[in-house]
Amino acid sequence: MTIREFILDRLGRIILRIAFLFTIAAFLLLTGTQPGIVTLLLIVCLLIFLLELLIDFWKKKKRLSELQAIMNELDQRYLFIECAPKPHTLYERKLFDLLRLSGKSMIEAVSNAQAAGREYREYVEQWVHEIKTPITAAKLICQNTDSDTRRRLSTELAQIDAHVERALFYARSESPEKDFIISRTELSTICDEAIQAHKNLLIQNGVRVETENLSELVYTDGKWTAFMLGQLLQNAARYHGEEPLITLAGKRLGRQVQLVVWDNGIGIPAHELPRVFDRGFTGKNGRNRGGSTGMGLYLCKRLADALEIGLQIQSTAGAGTCVTLTFPAEVNNN
Amino acid sequence: MQTIMIVEDDPVIRQELAFLLENEDYQVLPVTDFETIPEQVRCACPDLVLLDLGLPGRDGLSLCASIRKTAPIIVVTSRTSALDELKALNLGSDDYVTKPYNIPILLARIKAVLRRNGSESTEPDTLKAAGLRLSLTKGTVTAAGASAELSRNELKILAHLMTHAGEIVSRADLIEALWDSRIYIDDNTLSVNVTRLRSKLEDLGMPDVIKTRRGMGYQL
Repeated sequence: MTIREFILDRLGRIILRIAFLFTIAAFLLLTGTQPGIVTLLLIVCLLIFLLELLIDFWKKKKRLSELQAIMNELDQRYLFIECAPKPHTLYERKLFDLLRLSGKSMIEAVSNAQAAGREYREYVEQWVHEIKTPITAAKLICQNTDSDTRRRLSTELAQIDAHVERALFYARSESPEKDFIISRTELSTICDEAIQAHKNLLIQNGVRVETENLSELVYTDGKWTAFMLGQLLQNAARYHGEEPLITLAGKRLGRQVQLVVWDNGIGIPAHELPRVFDRGFTGKNGRNRGGSTGMGLYLCKRLADALEIGLQIQSTAGAGTCVTLTFPAEVNNN
Repeated sequence: MQTIMIVEDDPVIRQELAFLLENEDYQVLPVTDFETIPEQVRCACPDLVLLDLGLPGRDGLSLCASIRKTAPIIVVTSRTSALDELKALNLGSDDYVTKPYNIPILLARIKAVLRRNGSESTEPDTLKAAGLRLSLTKGTVTAAGASAELSRNELKILAHLMTHAGEIVSRADLIEALWDSRIYIDDNTLSVNVTRLRSKLEDLGMPDVIKTRRGMGYQL
């Protein structure tokens, strides 16, 4: 609040007071008071008014900055009124009462939404665990049949499993810090887990996987990272070109370790690259091929952020895609 | 023969898992009464218990601690959170596999736990079939006194054919078996490797030991 705003706000009152003063002065002059006395009176009264105006401005300004400071310190700003100081004036009290009512309904709405979100997340997690029992049973039944049926069914089951995993990780990525455990893991362990999980899809698409220097150790959650890597492998298998090849290479960069996932697939057009991590973005390749959900890379990005893994993507349409995961540097124990 | 006890409440999984493990030459003890599991374990003294955590009416985790003294445990569960895994391992389970499991991996883990607990009859180091002797640790194949060194890929291919001697092994099965051994090759690379393997065997005086069955696969 500036002094100008304050004066503009009070303009009516100020004009009224000045008009009142001049009326009195005119009256006094008419009734024969000496002009000198009237002038003196006018000046003194105007000074008192001005002083009152300034004191009032100063008090209001102080009050406002006090409220502003409370607001700034709040984590959840909609809780402001619960932390507001005692109202000074009648007007303030009435205003605070109104704000309290509005805040209350807001708090209710927010906590309802939070509870609904939490319940939904819990249900999704529970559902995922339940659906895994029949998937496991189907996999076992499948294992005990002839090899052609097994292969075809295994691919479909692996597909179901991949969708289910995405749902689980989506639910978990809402509050990721609860669910991951950082430990020292060899890159090859993570890579093997991810490759095994998508073995059928990769083999079916005739993909060859080459690995280089995967003995580097990283500090991360193995399962989450394997899930992320799995999304990249699925993409590489889906959008493959001639003689599909995926290279997984470990690289040491000072104290950081990188995992470079390179494929020689159909690539991503340059203008689509900045949006590939957006939720639900499918792009030209996804639309042409169908069955793309636009969730894989989005989840990758979310999990990578939670695990503090750097995620960069480069691609040339028609030549291939290269995704680099940069793991955080190991914490020095000394 | 080694005995594996299956503690699993889903009847289909229990039955199919039993079938699978029997095919792998294990003796299987499926549990159907979940009230007295520790007693049953004590009576039967299996070499390994596959324990599902989501049992009706009781918490599988608390079972872990009481079974642990008698038999090694692999916890098999659909609970996948890192915390569950940590709890299970802390309570004395030997390994932790999440559903839906990759079957070759489950079998490998079973083998590893059995070996660690000393009850595994040591795995054969040499395979013999069709006049060939394959040394798995040295990576050499011997026939009629002469021997040749094999690359890792060739070794795995020949080992797979030799363990299925007489059967027709499809290219797809062979590729899958190689992927399970962490050799991630495609169809063309398989052809190249088989050709190399054949020429090595030819040098040993075994020219047509790997037969191609057109449209079906290979046969030793």
